Amino acid sequence: MSEQAAAVTVDHVTHRFGSVVALDDVSLAFREGEFVTMLGPSGCGKTTLLRIVAGFERPTKGRVLLGDTDITRVLPHRRPLNMVFQRPTLFPHLDVADNVAFGLRVAKVERAERDRRVAEALRLVRLEGYGKRRADELSGGQMQRIALARALVNRPRVLLLDEPLSALDLKIRLEMEVELRRIHRESGATFVYVTHDQREALALSDRVVVFNEGRVDQVGAPDEIYHSPASPFAARFVGDANVLPVQVTRVDAGEAEVAIGGQKLVVQARGDGARVGPAWLVVRAEVVRLAEGGSLRGIVRDGAFRGTGFTYQLEVAGIGEPFKAEVTSEGQAVLLPLGSEIGLHWHPSACVLLAREEDG
Amino acid sequence: MTVRSRGALAITIAALLFLYVPLAVVVLFSFHETGSLSLPFTGFSLRWYRFVLSDPGFRSALENSLFVAAWTSVITLLLGTLASFGLARTRSRLRGPLALLFFLPITLPGLFIGLSMLVFFVRVNIDLSLTTVIIAHCVYVFPYFLLIAIAALERLDPALEEAAADLGANGWLRFWRVTMPQIWPLLVGATCLAFALSFDEFVITFFVIGPDGTLPLYIWSQLRRTVDPSINVVSTLLMTVTLVLWLVAFLFALRAARRKAASGDDLVAEVVPL
Repeated sequence: MSEQAAAVTVDHVTHRFGSVVALDDVSLAFREGEFVTMLGPSGCGKTTLLRIVAGFERPTKGRVLLGDTDITRVLPHRRPLNMVFQRPTLFPHLDVADNVAFGLRVAKVERAERDRRVAEALRLVRLEGYGKRRADELSGGQMQRIALARALVNRPRVLLLDEPLSALDLKIRLEMEVELRRIHRESGATFVYVTHDQREALALSDRVVVFNEGRVDQVGAPDEIYHSPASPFAARFVGDANVLPVQVTRVDAGEAEVAIGGQKLVVQARGDGARVGPAWLVVRAEVVRLAEGGSLRGIVRDGAFRGTGFTYQLEVAGIGEPFKAEVTSEGQAVLLPLGSEIGLHWHPSACVLLAREEDG
Repeated sequence: MTVRSRGALAITIAALLFLYVPLAVVVLFSFHETGSLSLPFTGFSLRWYRFVLSDPGFRSALENSLFVAAWTSVITLLLGTLASFGLARTRSRLRGPLALLFFLPITLPGLFIGLSMLVFFVRVNIDLSLTTVIIAHCVYVFPYFLLIAIAALERLDPALEEAAADLGANGWLRFWRVTMPQIWPLLVGATCLAFALSFDEFVITFFVIGPDGTLPLYIWSQLRRTVDPSINVVSTLLMTVTLVLWLVAFLFALRAARRKAASGDDLVAEVVPL
């Protein structure tokens, strides 16, 4: 995958719960020091893979490597990696400092060193001075920061994070994202993060792994996933794009002519669907411009003010689902009235063609 | 809940009187200065307490009761804790049937347990003694202990043990550093209950005891001989010990509940069968 050293390698891992296949032959490599996010809807296998890396589940098939060492059969407490759970799992009978010191105590780190590292970890999560508090005196965001400190104090090579922000309020979640990026930079550890929130994945990660039904759908940098989705699933799940069934009628000189709802459009021939035949045309809602004229037209069925602009749902002939468009208030000052007809425009290079099986 | 009607209030008061007046009378007459057990109450005195406490029969009965209750509660604590861990953690199919077998004695009448234990001891040629009483009491008390211990364990967040494992703690450390600190108040409470149940047990003891006597048996034998306030004294002492133990059990359960309060569980209501 890369010349950089892999911190963790997941090698052909398959996992079944009874007859349910949670992971189907997944192979991945997480690089040293990177922030990689496994993204997918609930039940797609991303948490199962994290638990396999942590050692809480043993894969039905396949191997997990830490550096060059096979750790598939190593028990969780012998693995030099740490995890932050979805709920803050602080020990209720210990105060904050003792919670953070737990791993160091188990590792028999001597007292002076322990105190120093606990203070350092609390400073890293910006909760210095909270050592004597009880866990239940903290807010949800503070608890998750302590859980982070408790994991990072052990200086793990790899930190696993299982939707650590999902139980928090939106405002605190946004603050914690900034904190997580900073903590990742300062700790230098490899962060393997699991989330179902595509916005979080794009905002945090160096690389995103899109999961769908136990398989890896796409791996790439956030902007790559966003601008060049490899599948209709990735296109729909990341950034909520319009995925339109089209017929490519002609491809030449880097341009493709597509038929959509009885209209012909010319787009850039980009993506694996850029050959004559059926394809999916992926158009991000925010690249769409609504203006008079144009061959592709829609009827406004819903419009909402979003602060920076408007979002619309339009009915387009020949397309089953509503067409989504996000326009900035710069381009358009007032909300279009419901029922009005308007032309849909986008730059020919702002869309991707994906391969589509002919519907039987 | 608020009591709205006067009728309901009257019935409640009547029921409480019906429950507690006989107990109060027993306690009151244990302090009577004469040997009479009926009204009028002529004056307070501790003479019957002095009388009972200096009675060698009472002393040996008390010692026996403490001996039996102490061993019963220690054995129950050890076996019960092991069994509760096994039952709460196993994924085996035998879990259901095993739990049923463990809890069954709770549904059996004491008479039945006593009789069957007696038949058993006689068959396998074990002489009846305080040891057989301890064995029988363990059988009787075990399910009560188990009920509380399992409730405590099942309320534990399994993610806490995973977090501890993730931080490098092996099974032994997880048990002592994470599980025990959370459940010990309830285990202590359950042990107090085991002690109390054993301390005032009569029916089963009656069958499987040999030449010795425990406090409940002492009261029973005194009743047949004399009727004076010394019985009230023994009963009052027995009641006090039991009451204090229940109170201690309750306080420990409350403590455990308060620790758990952050996660919003009402533990006391479920595990203290009051």
